[in-house]
Amino acid sequence: MNTEVNLHPSSELLNQFIQGELATGRSVVISAHVELCKTCSEKTKELQALAVSSWVDPDSSESSIRKTAGDYSAMIQNIVKEEQIKTEQLPELVTASLGLLDSSISLPRVLAKAAAKGLVWKKVAGGISEAQLPLDNETQCGFIYMAPGCQVPVHTHEGSETTLVLDGSFEDELGKYRAFDFIIRDQNHQHQPISKEGCLCFAVLDSPLTFTSGLARLMNPINRYRFRKAISKYA
Amino acid sequence: MYNLSAKQEGFSTTVGLTVRLTSVNSPTQDVHTEYNPAAISDEQLLIAVGNSQDINAFNQLFQRFSNNIFALGMKLTRNEQLSHDLIQEAMLNVWQKAPLYDLDRGTAKGWIYTLSRNRCFDMLRKQKRQPNCISADDIWPQEANTELMPFHEDSSGQEVEIALIERFFDQLSEPQRAVVEQIFMQDRTHEEAASILQIPLGTLKSRLRLAVAKLRKLIEVEQ
Ligand SMILES: [Zn+2]
Repeated sequence: MNTEVNLHPSSELLNQFIQGELATGRSVVISAHVELCKTCSEKTKELQALAVSSWVDPDSSESSIRKTAGDYSAMIQNIVKEEQIKTEQLPELVTASLGLLDSSISLPRVLAKAAAKGLVWKKVAGGISEAQLPLDNETQCGFIYMAPGCQVPVHTHEGSETTLVLDGSFEDELGKYRAFDFIIRDQNHQHQPISKEGCLCFAVLDSPLTFTSGLARLMNPINRYRFRKAISKYA
Repeated sequence: MYNLSAKQEGFSTTVGLTVRLTSVNSPTQDVHTEYNPAAISDEQLLIAVGNSQDINAFNQLFQRFSNNIFALGMKLTRNEQLSHDLIQEAMLNVWQKAPLYDLDRGTAKGWIYTLSRNRCFDMLRKQKRQPNCISADDIWPQEANTELMPFHEDSSGQEVEIALIERFFDQLSEPQRAVVEQIFMQDRTHEEAASILQIPLGTLKSRLRLAVAKLRKLIEVEQ
């Protein structure tokens, strides 16, 4: 566990994560950060305890939602016919090898699991490669690798981009980002990331699905096409 | 450790109640429960379900939590049918996994919340036909004590000699001693020991692993 992580998800975001309110892509990238970050791992436990204690008590007057009174005895009877599980399945240790790196790194569990079926790396632009990993139909997710000394062309985002640094570092106009940092950039940021030592990230790009013309003109049509392609597989 | 033993004491005061609810040798189908349901904790009910498939206890848990689960479903899915399905999915999971519940790791309510949230998340993903390369249990892994992972369930401590155990017995915590005594000295099965001690099987196993790890360390130092 790294104790020198600088950038973390906000408490609000962690809370939404705990309550299961985020789409899979976002949930995965936060889960990966929480596994790597002691601060957020502790915060998450506190938020979980809060969520549990405020979980609606059916007998309290606060509870406005009630299931319709029904007869659940048939449901219960069917359930208790099922076998119980007596031995905990210890999580399989999945290791994903990332061929582009000189040194191999061990991925957070959730990312290793998601990547277990193999990654297909594609060169995107000078020194940058990506391996897409579709997780839901609202976001475009994947690993991004920047070779040492490479520079991403100036770009803006439609929606927001969430990035978790897994290894190495990169910098842009706003700062330098190291292993396990959690960065969110929205469409207001125009940035030009540079990586001197090389960098491996996991990124989640928000869907512009609710988006109509207007701002769309600002977008690079090729990127839009790639985004559509990524999400249409599961739409 | 302080928390752990405090919890244990809290339980021992109510053991008398639960013993009637679930006794080791009674056929589980015929358990008659003459108790005041409100006086029994969620944890005790869950233990009765996990240790002796107590259907009355499961009924009680169903009464206590189905509204909560429904409310959680409505919040996350905004769909009544799905929320009803969630009651089924989540309570089925409670039944199936009850033996794995570990009271040293949190309350029954917290455990049921986690199961319900995870089943809801998976239900929604399935409904939206999202890729199935991961599930909610990967995103919110059980608070697995990673340092315990190398220990295999059933080999845990078979190699530790009884004589050595007795020598270091005093250095174990009270809950650990109780577990070690049942397994190594009384030679009971995990299931029997869990029922006698009125703790979930999951708790028995994790306390046993901790105790054996501690014994091994002590014996190593000695030798
Ligand atoms: Zn953090």
